[in-house]
Amino acid sequence: MVTPPVTPDLTSRVGSVVLKNPVMSASGTFGYGLEFTPFYDIARLGAVIVKGLSLLPTPGNAPQRIVETPAGMLNAIGLQNIGVERFVLDVVPRLADAGATYVANIYGRTIEEYEEVARRLSGVASLAAIELNASCPNVKEGGILFGSTPQGLSTLTRRVRAATGKPLWVKLSPNVTDIGAVARAAEDAGADAVTLINTIVGMAVDCRTRRPRLSNVTGGLSGPAVRPVALRMVWEACKAVRIPVIGIGGIQSAEDALEFLLVGATAVQVGTANFRNPNACVEIIDGIADFLVRERVGRLEEYRGTLRL
Amino acid sequence: MPFNRPRFVNGRILHNPGHGIFYRMEVSIPDRIEFVPGQFAMVSGWPGNDPLLPRPLAIFRTGGARGKGIVEFVYKVVGRGTALLSGLHEGDPLQITLPLGHGFELAREDRTWWLVGGGVGFSTVFPAAVALEAQRAEFEVFLGGRTRDQLPPKEWIPGAGVPGRAHLSTDDGTAGFFGRATDAVRERMDRLKAAERSRLTILACGPREMLKGIAELALPHGIPVQVSLENHMACGFGVCWGCVTAVRDGERTGYRRVCREGPVFDAREIVW
Repeated sequence: MVTPPVTPDLTSRVGSVVLKNPVMSASGTFGYGLEFTPFYDIARLGAVIVKGLSLLPTPGNAPQRIVETPAGMLNAIGLQNIGVERFVLDVVPRLADAGATYVANIYGRTIEEYEEVARRLSGVASLAAIELNASCPNVKEGGILFGSTPQGLSTLTRRVRAATGKPLWVKLSPNVTDIGAVARAAEDAGADAVTLINTIVGMAVDCRTRRPRLSNVTGGLSGPAVRPVALRMVWEACKAVRIPVIGIGGIQSAEDALEFLLVGATAVQVGTANFRNPNACVEIIDGIADFLVRERVGRLEEYRGTLRL
Repeated sequence: MPFNRPRFVNGRILHNPGHGIFYRMEVSIPDRIEFVPGQFAMVSGWPGNDPLLPRPLAIFRTGGARGKGIVEFVYKVVGRGTALLSGLHEGDPLQITLPLGHGFELAREDRTWWLVGGGVGFSTVFPAAVALEAQRAEFEVFLGGRTRDQLPPKEWIPGAGVPGRAHLSTDDGTAGFFGRATDAVRERMDRLKAAERSRLTILACGPREMLKGIAELALPHGIPVQVSLENHMACGFGVCWGCVTAVRDGERTGYRRVCREGPVFDAREIVW
């Protein structure tokens, strides 16, 4: 008997947000999403997470902003962005036209600014969720002040939660002692999901010129170099909270993404891989489907969190 | 139809020989591309994750037929990525995203064009020379290198046979004008009449010091200068915001992406 070809069900539910598949673009590596339309239909993604938005346009850090490191890169962009107002007026209609599921990553210099950005986005009907950047390592006011302790994160999350009815995802910093405690603080304060990891603080210097390689001196490490650390933290967060966990960190292939899903992540985000291969996200979606067919798994749901310990 | 919007393609190396300090790599790609001189590609071709990121290379020339394109790059080994590229052979696979960025603006008629290339910067201005030759525009080429063997082979220079068209210079005086390309440009400019100057547009690619020198030389005379900048890039198509350069933004300094708003900028915008 011949088995008919099967398309596995990749549907992934992040709280009330239903994604057609578990693959999203990570904020800061995907622009505002529209930059990828020459390469593929961005509506194919589970979701597009746009570059971090602030209340006012932000110029970002002086160059040099990036440096390549072994199997990774450091960045200190400084959250350069067009501001929430221009995003709503210019970008939102085009993302909606493209049929994309999209999420706005937001940050503020103060809690009040976070609240205001969240409020401004609350009325945007096509916006699926808000991702709170409580973890940018490159701007003092970029969230790391709030995001590095459970107490700080709890206060920030609670305040933004009260400011918007949109699903609220909280993006966590790996630069903490106990990721489980931080994730629990976000959950207790009303987060609908946690996203991790943001970049790991790192540094590169030039031994000859005796200067730092980044104008910001330190930067955030991303790429395959961080994947084992990210995987461990995602696994710990999955054990610590009941809300969905979205895994990020050095994912370059379907196999990498599946590792995160295996340890319990509800969905994943792909970041630095987009720089090397603009088609990375869609190749990963196709690769996950192929894997499930090969493994005779009909629904991704059956595979998720099935790590054998 | 040849494509002119960015695409990520798999290519295969046809040739990759060295000429002095330069390599000229010819690659077959799935389709013909249309590009604007000054546009570039992100290129990688080594296995594994180290180095992680592709390298930006100026598009030197394109060709091919329907369903079978060819793209050429001229590059110099400056670091690990280009060193790995230089070790690749005929038949080796490459991943290429192209064409990228904002190129030179050549459409203005009735201009005289000076194309200035410092070091490997000539690989960016050469396609502009080819385009200008095709539109039968008047142009001259200034090429500078540290020494004689750091100049490109003469037979690569478009229209080099035309007397007075190509001006070579070396920092050590081993070939052509003794001095930097900027000095050669200054000397030639001093001999121009006001009417000739008013028709002049300069296109330049090379070390940042050279570009700054050309801008300081030409802008006070009202001569338009288009500079092609370089920077480290992660993506090459405008999403990482890693490659920015400082520009004048009203009263303040802003940052624009070399890969997207550039690599070619109006020199008046740049904060050197």
